[in-house]
Amino acid sequence: MSTFLMRRSVLAALGACALVGMAHGAEVSGQVRAAWVDRQVADAGPLAQANQIQPGSASSEPSAGTAQAELRASAKAGPLTLHAVATAQARSPQGGTTTSDGWINEAYASGQALGWQWSAGKKVVSWDVGYGFRPNDMVQQEVRRTLASEALTGKPLLMAEHFDADTAWSLVWVNPLEAQSNTGAKEAALAARVYRRAGAVDWHGFARHGEHTGASLGVAASWVATDALELHASLRSYQHANSLASSNTGTSLSPTNPWQATRTGAGQQWLVGGTWTHESQIGVMVEAWHDDTALSDAQWNDWAARNQALPLWLTRRVPASAVAGNLAWQGHAFGASTNLRQDNVFVRLSWQHERWQPALDVLYHPADQGCVTTASLLWSGDHVKLEAGLRTHGGPDSAIVRQVPVQRQGYVVATWAF
Amino acid sequence: MNHFYKTLAALAVAAATATPALAQDINTLLKTADRYRMSAENLQVDTQVTVLNTDGSTDKERRYTVFAQSDRKSLVLMQSPVEKGQKVLMLADDFWLLMPNTQRPMRITPMQKLLGDASTGDIATMNWAGDYTGTVVGEEPCTPDNSKATCLHLSLQASRKGVTYQRIELWIGKTRHEPVRADLFVQSDKLAKQARFVMDKPTNPTTVSEMVLVDQLSNKKETRIKYLARKDRTVPAEWLNPMFLARNPSLE
Repeated sequence: MSTFLMRRSVLAALGACALVGMAHGAEVSGQVRAAWVDRQVADAGPLAQANQIQPGSASSEPSAGTAQAELRASAKAGPLTLHAVATAQARSPQGGTTTSDGWINEAYASGQALGWQWSAGKKVVSWDVGYGFRPNDMVQQEVRRTLASEALTGKPLLMAEHFDADTAWSLVWVNPLEAQSNTGAKEAALAARVYRRAGAVDWHGFARHGEHTGASLGVAASWVATDALELHASLRSYQHANSLASSNTGTSLSPTNPWQATRTGAGQQWLVGGTWTHESQIGVMVEAWHDDTALSDAQWNDWAARNQALPLWLTRRVPASAVAGNLAWQGHAFGASTNLRQDNVFVRLSWQHERWQPALDVLYHPADQGCVTTASLLWSGDHVKLEAGLRTHGGPDSAIVRQVPVQRQGYVVATWAF
Repeated sequence: MNHFYKTLAALAVAAATATPALAQDINTLLKTADRYRMSAENLQVDTQVTVLNTDGSTDKERRYTVFAQSDRKSLVLMQSPVEKGQKVLMLADDFWLLMPNTQRPMRITPMQKLLGDASTGDIATMNWAGDYTGTVVGEEPCTPDNSKATCLHLSLQASRKGVTYQRIELWIGKTRHEPVRADLFVQSDKLAKQARFVMDKPTNPTTVSEMVLVDQLSNKKETRIKYLARKDRTVPAEWLNPMFLARNPSLE
């Protein structure tokens, strides 16, 4: 992006907020955030192999420092409520040049007509009951378990909602102006949710119809079983899913990237879990989930076999760049789905003590004994929040999480809210 | 025989008039005490919570807007910069939390609302009647240091699940039944906090202006919950729907 365009986007983002903020009786708030994420590149896996054969043939995200200013404004304008959130960011990757950027996280108007609440614009709409994974997050499709949480960027949508004491209906047309060719989070879709409160249980029903992925239906529930225990479950059945698949699962070299977007057949995603909290404010969360959109065990076995076979081409006088390129393309498998493996177990232990919140969580893959462990510490003041953490990948060398390009990440985030 | 019954009746009347407070209905006493904190069925209360260190310095300060409604329904909006956008909905024994980052209402357990020096329950719950049953223990000095003022000591047990404190030892004014102090016990029957109620006018109190909580479980810190403003406010029914938390009720 040119400097002119970057400046323009920063100004446009902050200008949108300022306009809303200038309205009479506006609520304005925001935060300034400075973060450093340190990433340690893997010495195993296809991308590491590619770089060993030909340095620079596969890149991974470098360590970087970012500074962000986030502005939030809400105001009443006659019968309408206006809301805008904008972020301006400067990012300085290690060994790279500093870039600045800006974007609008949310900008929407909402109002009321014929007993229904409606919203139009760019808005965050998060659904479902899970924490580590949300099968029925049909609109936002939020990436879960990110290293450090940031303000979400909403989706363009039109939404109508109806509420009574115990029931809520939501109808959403998401990405209404997107081209028909768009997939994933940019796919145009109609989505609906019905919510019903029945004493200690929250029931949710979901339906979605996407341009590409067709129909999907889901159900979820959250049940407060005792004063300390909450149990939740979510199930989604879909007609199709967007994924990536390799056209070359053998050992031969490909002239072009064999990993291409594909539309898979019908499948299911489900999650079961629970949270338990002690009066000492120690909390435990356990979740297990299955995701048919992730690559199957057979696909990963083919992938691993190909990774082992490709370097052998070097002994047959094949150019190193061709072998390194093919190995680098193998890295696309990591982006096939939000989950690397179909079956996952997630455990989180946390403790809230005055201003401090230490936490430890582990994502475990039973299929290959791979695990991702994250330790974090949060300190909250009146205006300042400090966060630090470390994420590391463990398990046997053959585990998929041991092949991803970044094996260790540490982060420090300081936030000043106003 | 007639004489025997007359004597028995006289003894009963004498016993009742000797300790009139002990004969009072506990629920009536609690309803009277509640009115000093919640002057109407439906209220909007602006609250400031200040946590003091043991040396008296300010540790932290938080601002909340509480929509306390009838039938034990409350909506709490966090107003401090570091918590801005957080909302807690309490519908009798059921609780939901919305964090601004995700914009997703989450069902939480009663134990999860016991967060911080002043739990959400301390801020949003302004009633004892209906939540607690108990007995009048007797007349005692209002403060343990044998003050001249006499209070009624009520021993209260939670009558429903989901309340912040399982047991409360409450001292209320003998004449006006205004709350004076309380010992607050959690599920495990540990003394969690000691509360003191500051009235607007010491001589003729009409309302609780401040509640002072001293933590007894861990840090011994003092938390002052100051009621900055109260006004009658009945919120629309949809505001109390958990999924409505994702909207902005303060501007709707």
